[in-house]
Amino acid sequence: MNSILSLGFILVAGLLSAKVIKKAKFPAVTAYLMLGIIIGPSILKLVSGEVLGASSLISNVVLGIIAFGIGENFSRENFRRVGASVVWISILEACGAWILVTLVFLFILKQPFYISLLFGAIASATAPAATIMVIREYQSKGVLTDTLMGVVAIDDAWCLIIFAVSLAISQAIFAHIIDAFSIFKVFMQSVFNILGAFILGGAAALALSYFSRFIRTQTELLIYTLGCILSVIGIALWLDLSVLLANMFLGAVLVNSDRSAFKFFESLKTVDPPLFLLFFVLAGANLELALMPKLGLLGLTYLVVRVAGKLSGASIGAHISHATSVVKKYLGWGLIPQAGVALGCALIAKGDFPIVGDMIFTTIVATTVVYELFGPLCTRYALHKAGEVATEHTK
Amino acid sequence: MHVKDIMSKKVISVKRSTTLHQLLKLFDRFHIFPLVPVVEEDGKLIGIVSFKNLINVFSPRHTEIVKNIPFVDEEDEDIFNVELTKEMGSLILVADIMETHFVAIKEDESLEKAFGVMKLYLKEEIPVVDNKGVLVGMIGVFDIVRQLFSQKGII
Repeated sequence: MNSILSLGFILVAGLLSAKVIKKAKFPAVTAYLMLGIIIGPSILKLVSGEVLGASSLISNVVLGIIAFGIGENFSRENFRRVGASVVWISILEACGAWILVTLVFLFILKQPFYISLLFGAIASATAPAATIMVIREYQSKGVLTDTLMGVVAIDDAWCLIIFAVSLAISQAIFAHIIDAFSIFKVFMQSVFNILGAFILGGAAALALSYFSRFIRTQTELLIYTLGCILSVIGIALWLDLSVLLANMFLGAVLVNSDRSAFKFFESLKTVDPPLFLLFFVLAGANLELALMPKLGLLGLTYLVVRVAGKLSGASIGAHISHATSVVKKYLGWGLIPQAGVALGCALIAKGDFPIVGDMIFTTIVATTVVYELFGPLCTRYALHKAGEVATEHTK
Repeated sequence: MHVKDIMSKKVISVKRSTTLHQLLKLFDRFHIFPLVPVVEEDGKLIGIVSFKNLINVFSPRHTEIVKNIPFVDEEDEDIFNVELTKEMGSLILVADIMETHFVAIKEDESLEKAFGVMKLYLKEEIPVVDNKGVLVGMIGVFDIVRQLFSQKGII
């Protein structure tokens, strides 16, 4: 199959699969990912090698757009809207999974520190699509529903920060693994990576906002916004900075410094759905099924420990912020799904760490399928237990 | 010529606390739902309600927070089968459905600028505010076009 036919097939098949899976009350991202695994080189071999080879290009572009969008949630207005309690819970549930997965991989599975840290960082991500779909389906209302919506809205931002810090540390350790391990070098490299991304994103945001005065039409606005995001991705890659953080800061600085910033985010919404579809299908297609048997214990441990980290982190956050008892007891169960951001981070790890990257990526794709299938059941359980499901569904 | 010279000064505005029932009643003789500015007690413009926001009543979970989350599937609004009770008319407030990200223009801006803003944001009308952000009128593309026709002696 030639590349263009392959792309056309992915888009049409993706759309159809999303429609089918919607009947079973699962989000479109689950369908895209499973479609990718089925049509990928491990099973049906329907994706051309050229398209698979372009995965890294498409992923970087999509990740830049995702991170830019996540930055929009980092506005003062949004933090005020969700409240301090939600902010605390979201930080702690993300950190809970990060720390617990890192420690278990390091001390129990005896994995090297940099690998454990990467798994931990990826574990901090959640996938709001499945959770929000359940909330909509049950028309649930109440304090747990409101807290859950707030938490899933902002926690990917924490994940991006956690992943950027962990990636910088892991890269530094990996680079110096042959030399004597130098903590100072590691620290300086991490600081450069994160600070550089902040300066790049911030400067680009101010420039984007200033020069937008010359933009006259929606078409120009879309081209201009996309051009700026791609430039930031390119410069970040060139300077070896975090693509995710640079674009998140681009979005965050923009939304906090320009009152009309919403126009940039709105304009992108016309082009991102097909790009997101391609991203998920290609992530699925890149799964190496042959590696799966070797990852049994690793995958199983990741599956269980990430859930434990989310549950305990959410519960501690709820206690600290004096949330109600239903939030303390059940919030964590709404944070089980994992998808786009985790896959994106895993793809970066795959690109940056030649051998272990494949292992990390395969584990994350496989566990994503499990989480996306079982996560919605956990959210349903939490909402039922909290008594926030509309009456007709509880009968 | 400036925006304040041709804008409509008589504008129907609502408060955050206006109920859905009151809002719909205000426009029950209109054949389309216009762009409605939302103001504070002191007249400061804080949001808008458009027809799009009115439709959101049928999908109560389509909040501003959800709008910014990546990968969330669009909701199919089956407006014919949504359970709407009579009480919702007084329970749903303008504050629940209004949009806080909106575009407005200052009264002393030029008509060229106003036209450019409406073209960029694909709007047919936008609220007009003074230097303190207080709502003072509305201006639409038609106001500007009518002014141009008038200048050319067509009307």
